[in-house]
Amino acid sequence: MPSAPFNTALDWDVNRKHFLPVRDFYNRFRKEMRLEMLTGEGTLESKITESMTHRPGLALTGFVDVYSNRRIQVLGSTEWAYLESVGKERRESLFASLARFPTPLWVLTHNLPPHDELLAMCEKYGIPLMRTSLGTQTFVAITQRILMEWFAPYCDVHASLVDVYGVGMLYVGSSNIGKSECVLDLVERGHRLVADDSVRIRRIGDSIIGACNHIAEHHMEIRGIGVIDIPRLFGIHAVRRVKKVEIVVELQLWSPDVEYDRTGLDTQYVDVMGVNVPRVVIPVSPGKNITVISEVIAMNALMKMSGVNLAEDFNNKIIDAMKNKGRSIESELKNAFRFTDEMYE
Amino acid sequence: MITRVLQVTNKLGIHARPAGMIVEITTHAQSDVQICYGDSRANAKSILNVMMLAAEPGSEIKFVINGPDEERVAEELEKLFANRFYEDG
Repeated sequence: MPSAPFNTALDWDVNRKHFLPVRDFYNRFRKEMRLEMLTGEGTLESKITESMTHRPGLALTGFVDVYSNRRIQVLGSTEWAYLESVGKERRESLFASLARFPTPLWVLTHNLPPHDELLAMCEKYGIPLMRTSLGTQTFVAITQRILMEWFAPYCDVHASLVDVYGVGMLYVGSSNIGKSECVLDLVERGHRLVADDSVRIRRIGDSIIGACNHIAEHHMEIRGIGVIDIPRLFGIHAVRRVKKVEIVVELQLWSPDVEYDRTGLDTQYVDVMGVNVPRVVIPVSPGKNITVISEVIAMNALMKMSGVNLAEDFNNKIIDAMKNKGRSIESELKNAFRFTDEMYE
Repeated sequence: MITRVLQVTNKLGIHARPAGMIVEITTHAQSDVQICYGDSRANAKSILNVMMLAAEPGSEIKFVINGPDEERVAEELEKLFANRFYEDG
């Protein structure tokens, strides 16, 4: 008999962004990252295409056999001091030779003053040059984080994401199976909606992060009622914008020909954009309260995260009981006394 | 109605996994299936019922099967026990 097959809906189209215009990067983060343009407005047309930064120390010494020129070039006090030490003539020839490598953006940290030769190269070839008052490590850390998120592979999936007791549960299943009703029930019980019907999931590192669409936000469509606005109906605590996906729950119509998990001893996984995420298949049949089951799945997951596996504990208890069969009268007597004791409580 | 007495021959006895395999057979059957072991009697379609018997290695348990597909259920159970629940040892 086949074990419950997973919905083919997980065969999702993965997309990727190919560039980030420097203009948008600058406009969005200039305040937060204390950025100041040193070249003309026209240089902002440049595009960032890689999600990393590069400190071009070796390239500045003239070694360009290996040079990550497509990354953002960050000049910290080390590079600046080196440039200062080699003198004007060397700087001129240096930047003249580096000019043949296309670069998306140059940034000076610690508010360092740009050398004329660098400024001249940037102006001549239309490369944006900026300065920040942040230190190099801080600038690099923030920039990497922004770029990692921007360039993360993503897809829009037909699913719903809810934070149940802090566990991110992604509900998948065919239309009309009752995802939205289940989500609404969870929200009513105090859990938090991230997105209904369409979730944008991103792979960031080894995590799958789900978020709502910025237009649909926390609206839901309930058949027979229409579109409802969750935070306005239930309050701001009923929603959140982003949540890590920790369990994929698939709702399926119950089928007599399919084998469902009975012991809970084996965790099953599903591949979501290359990350293994625990999955649970819930057979749906009339009269079944999926909401309570969802809460139990979440609590079980919390127990597992804290190192307790309830199914395994119970199984060990049974195995122990079998080993102690010889003393069964003893253990039965113990229970008998407990029973009479409790009668008088 | 038919009965089968089967011996538990795997290393650990009927713990959660073997119990899961037993109910997998019985829940898909139309027949009513009971297990008798010692002085306990259990519904073989309930995993908790089967587990609480704590049938240890070497023990013999009796299945009482009653219904239209009793022969098939008996056969499947015999096969499962003969194969030691597909566990090592």
